[in-house]
Amino acid sequence: MDRTEIEKKVKQVTAKVLGVDENSITSESRFVEDLGAESVQSLELVAAFEEAFDIEMEEDAALQVKTVGKAVEFISKYLNK
Amino acid sequence: MKLIIFESDWWINLTPLSYTRPVFELRCGMYTLLERIVEKAKTRDITLFVRDYLFEYAKKNYQYAINTFSHADEDVLIVDGRFLVESDFAKDREAVYLCGDEIVYAFVKKQNAVKIEGKNLAEIIDFMKGLPHIQIDAKMMKFPWNLVHYNGEMIKKDFSHCGKKGIEGIFSPQATVKGPDDIYIAEGAEVHPFVVLDTSSGPIYIDKDVKIFPFSRIEGPCYIGSETHIMTGASIREGNTIGPVCRVGGEIEESIIQGYSNKYHDGFIGHAYIGEFVNLGALTTNSDLKNDYSSVSVYVNGKIVDTEDLKVGSFIGDHTKTSIGTLFNTGTSVGVMCNITAGGILPKFFPSFTWYVNNKFMKGFGLEMMLKTAKAAMERRKRVLSKEEEDVIRKVYELTADLRKAYIKKTSSIK
Repeated sequence: MDRTEIEKKVKQVTAKVLGVDENSITSESRFVEDLGAESVQSLELVAAFEEAFDIEMEEDAALQVKTVGKAVEFISKYLNK
Repeated sequence: MKLIIFESDWWINLTPLSYTRPVFELRCGMYTLLERIVEKAKTRDITLFVRDYLFEYAKKNYQYAINTFSHADEDVLIVDGRFLVESDFAKDREAVYLCGDEIVYAFVKKQNAVKIEGKNLAEIIDFMKGLPHIQIDAKMMKFPWNLVHYNGEMIKKDFSHCGKKGIEGIFSPQATVKGPDDIYIAEGAEVHPFVVLDTSSGPIYIDKDVKIFPFSRIEGPCYIGSETHIMTGASIREGNTIGPVCRVGGEIEESIIQGYSNKYHDGFIGHAYIGEFVNLGALTTNSDLKNDYSSVSVYVNGKIVDTEDLKVGSFIGDHTKTSIGTLFNTGTSVGVMCNITAGGILPKFFPSFTWYVNNKFMKGFGLEMMLKTAKAAMERRKRVLSKEEEDVIRKVYELTADLRKAYIKKTSSIK
């Protein structure tokens, strides 16, 4: 899966979990400040990314990821393992 | 005589409570299953056989031999740790005593004891099967609700057997006993004003340094373990065993709390067994009776089992926490270290280490953060999570991984 595909999927999942318009999400969008993720939704996002990409992420590290772009990088590392 | 107490493969049916402790550490009445067996066997020469992953834990917590039986120079009594023993063991002839097809215990004469020396548990069980069979009626704890079922009856028997009665602690002149004087209040315990101890249906044993705060009503049979606090206005109905260092408020009926757990606020818990370091948020309540009065089913290790009982509450593993207002369905099983927030009709089974948030299962902050929280919770009660206990929790995390993944997938956001 290349970076564009990963980014597309990350945006789709983020839109679904946080209930925001997919088109309003950019690489720079911050989950909490810009997209309104509450702490519980951050947990949901991690679970949803794992399901969507069929990976298992380190929870502590995953919850440190602040932006959509960083999430794409973080997930890419797992997909390339 | 020597005594061997073992855990059979049935331990899995006593989960979630048995995930983090040998089955014989479970409570019923005023004692654990182990304490009962030791008392009836009348020997201190003891060997315990536990699951491999509990070996280090058992070694740290018991002064007994673990998983190795040696020096077979006396008669040997071999007992399944799930046996709720009430009378003396038969020691007149060499035999294996069975309840149906389950081994309850075996008595082995000195001259044959050498045959089990140095053997592993499977070999010892094979040896027992080769002894003459004698059928007996025995209370074998097959599932967690069995312990709850017998609890009230056992408190009554234990109270009468222990021979303690009277007040050694502080009993306020404004507190009242309703019924016969079947109470024992140990040294250091305090019963505050406007507390009612109702012994009409059974005895009440209040152990050392317990505090019963005003306006509480405690109904016998009841056992309250040392250093436990019963909070203001609590309604402690019949048939409860509350282990040491608990904080209990609200309404609780026919339940067992292993110890060190908090149910500080209002909310009803009935016909339940709650592990250690559980924290139930305010108004957490469990149903223990179905609206159609049919028998309650419970998930045991992920599979549904009919309890054939009408009154069954919840079974909650160690270190689990619930949010305010959590409402558990009848016969709910909650694993170890779960974190549950209220919302709609909750599932009847929560795999260990799951977080249940917004009606979805998830991994939450992960094991490391959960361990950190557990350490903080234990520190508040002057306990330290030992390396051995931590290793047990890590092993249980591995053991329950598949079930956890399956449930997380089931409620995934992105279906």
